Amino acid sequence: MSERKGRSRFAWLLLLAAFAMVLAVACGGDDDDDTGGGGSVTYGKAGFKTVEIASGQPIKIGYSGPLSGDLKGIGEPIQKAVELAAKGKTIKGHNIQVVSKDDLCSADGGASAATQLLQEGVVAVVGPVCSGAVVAAQPQYEAAGVTHVSPSSTAHKPTYPDRGQVFQTFLRTTYSDDIQGPAQAKFAYKTLGAKTAYIVYDTDAYGSGLRDAFKAAYEKEGGKILGSEGYEKKQTDFKAVVTNIKNAKPDLVYFAGFYSEATPFIKQLRAEMKDVKFLAGDGVKNDEFIKGAGADAEGAYLSLPSPVYTGEAYKTFGDLFEKETGIKRDASPFVAEAYDAASIIIRALEKVAEEKDGKLLIDLKKLNEEIRKTEFDGASGKIKFDARGENVGGATPVSLFQVKNGAFEEIKQ
Amino acid sequence: MSLALTLSVSFWSDQFVNGLTTGSLYALIALGYTMVYGVLKMINFAHGEVFMLGSFAGYGALVAMGGNDLSGPVIALAILGAIIVAMAASVSASVVIERLAYRPLRNAPRLAPLISAIGVSIFLQYLVLEQTSARAKFYPDIFPRGSVAAGPFEITYIQLFLIASSVAMMAVLYAIIQRTRLGRAIRAVAENPTNASLMGVDVNRTIVFVFILGAAMAGVAGVLYGLFFQTIRGSMGFIPGIKAFTAAVLGGIGSIPGAMAGGYALGLAETVGRELLNELPGINLGNQWRDVIAFTLLVAILIFRPTGIFAQRSTTRA
Repeated sequence: MSERKGRSRFAWLLLLAAFAMVLAVACGGDDDDDTGGGGSVTYGKAGFKTVEIASGQPIKIGYSGPLSGDLKGIGEPIQKAVELAAKGKTIKGHNIQVVSKDDLCSADGGASAATQLLQEGVVAVVGPVCSGAVVAAQPQYEAAGVTHVSPSSTAHKPTYPDRGQVFQTFLRTTYSDDIQGPAQAKFAYKTLGAKTAYIVYDTDAYGSGLRDAFKAAYEKEGGKILGSEGYEKKQTDFKAVVTNIKNAKPDLVYFAGFYSEATPFIKQLRAEMKDVKFLAGDGVKNDEFIKGAGADAEGAYLSLPSPVYTGEAYKTFGDLFEKETGIKRDASPFVAEAYDAASIIIRALEKVAEEKDGKLLIDLKKLNEEIRKTEFDGASGKIKFDARGENVGGATPVSLFQVKNGAFEEIKQ
Repeated sequence: MSLALTLSVSFWSDQFVNGLTTGSLYALIALGYTMVYGVLKMINFAHGEVFMLGSFAGYGALVAMGGNDLSGPVIALAILGAIIVAMAASVSASVVIERLAYRPLRNAPRLAPLISAIGVSIFLQYLVLEQTSARAKFYPDIFPRGSVAAGPFEITYIQLFLIASSVAMMAVLYAIIQRTRLGRAIRAVAENPTNASLMGVDVNRTIVFVFILGAAMAGVAGVLYGLFFQTIRGSMGFIPGIKAFTAAVLGGIGSIPGAMAGGYALGLAETVGRELLNELPGINLGNQWRDVIAFTLLVAILIFRPTGIFAQRSTTRA
């Protein structure tokens, strides 16, 4: 009898502990916005080495991004652009080989792709494509001293890591959501005249980062956030969320995530609310979104943290890309950024690779410094990095679109 | 604690209907778990994948019949056809799984068929992911949009269809179990396989029928899920499978009314329950908490009432 009593007391303790945890997590969820200035930057310790490449062996550059699964539509064109940049290039008689790893756009995928790429002996990496994967992979690349340039990770976290020290080996050729978020907020409040908004976000680094950036800027503009709800990737049941939105009656629904979930979400949203404005970022601006959501995608607003490319370099790249891969240049974002990221790496390699006793030596520290020094007029525009690895080259880095008659139409501002 | 609800009546009735809809799906799938557990004392973890296969078969049938181009009364026939195809696909998959993966292990230690079931589950999931290159498929958007009002409730046609057809399926199943010779055989095997076989019941055949009935329910659930959420993928069986298992445990695993009640209870807990918690001061659980709520409920049930809401009685289990 006494034993039973003891057990039930234990059960109560467990339940109490569980509730305490739930509350702690619930309260602690929102206070991770650190908007520290870009001024002084302290780097962690990167494990730079010198890589030896025997004669006849290729120089390996890695690629990490989704190559299967729902987000293949983002990762595959980017991979093709990287391969295009490396195609036919040789450095002192060594070919350049792109080693691709599928990271499924996930955190664990990003970490395991990093392990595999480092084992393959890559000297630099384009990617990871997704911010969730970037955050998970950064420590490994930093420890190995392998510089990685993401063409598409836009989240705040990669350049403002949780533990203060900035990663020396991370750079990106796209623009941070610290730029995209405020641009979206301004567009929503001023141009669309939306005074209230409801946020639906992916709980990964990209979605929650974009949510924070948008929320802060939108409230500063004078807008009111009526609610904010997260989801995990692969969720298809958004009915309860839609009911909450319907109840809150916002002017605008802001979606921070990828097209794979935006598609079922907007179908369910439109079934209940025909007219509410819908705004999303680069993760949704993809032909796959229009293909999947069909008529329900009509009228949706989307932004891209890249300028509307006008330069001659973009035209040359676009023609080449379409000819070589058969993929439309604007079917999926970040292909020009990926081409540039790979080109920057190859240019730097050309400068730092040294021949010695019939071997090719690549000093990863010098390679990193060379890449950081880049000033480059690329397909995606001017590229120049600041101390955090942020691209500060472009002038108007956010463009906006609306879906009209089954296509993305640019909104002139 | 004041329970003056801050939100409107229509909000709560909408969430209630959402809960009922999700709950119906959980209940339909949960029946398969609970019946197999009833006769074999084994948790058929591949059941979520049987549901997924049904959904894909129904999708194939709808697309073959014209997909988005269907219109008018033909839609009703097409949906009926899709449901039949899905049931057939789920049933054949389930029969093959039973024959190849479970029957050889009938007298093995209880852990063996469980591991075998997990193996089948992973195999089927990745087979379909591979075949579809892991991308989502979208059900044709053919179900008429619109809703009916009943008091404070506003129910869309598709929700009404989903709830009604799942209740009908469950009623049919309950009648089969309670009123037919086959049902009696199933109940007998559930109670004591050895005695049942001494009474002339073909135990293997009866077990196959249990798998058939459960799979048919899962097949229907697959099409309903596809029509309602419109997005299906190879990995779609996992979460509903686990939720349905939770529902079965919640209701009392082995009990058919328990699985139904458990399904609805879980569906409502995730929607209405979460919003009720949000009414408490200082709590704001977004949509991302729904799984936490479902599985907290599972843990709580396992601690405080391991036999579930409907404690198993030998006459009602199957």
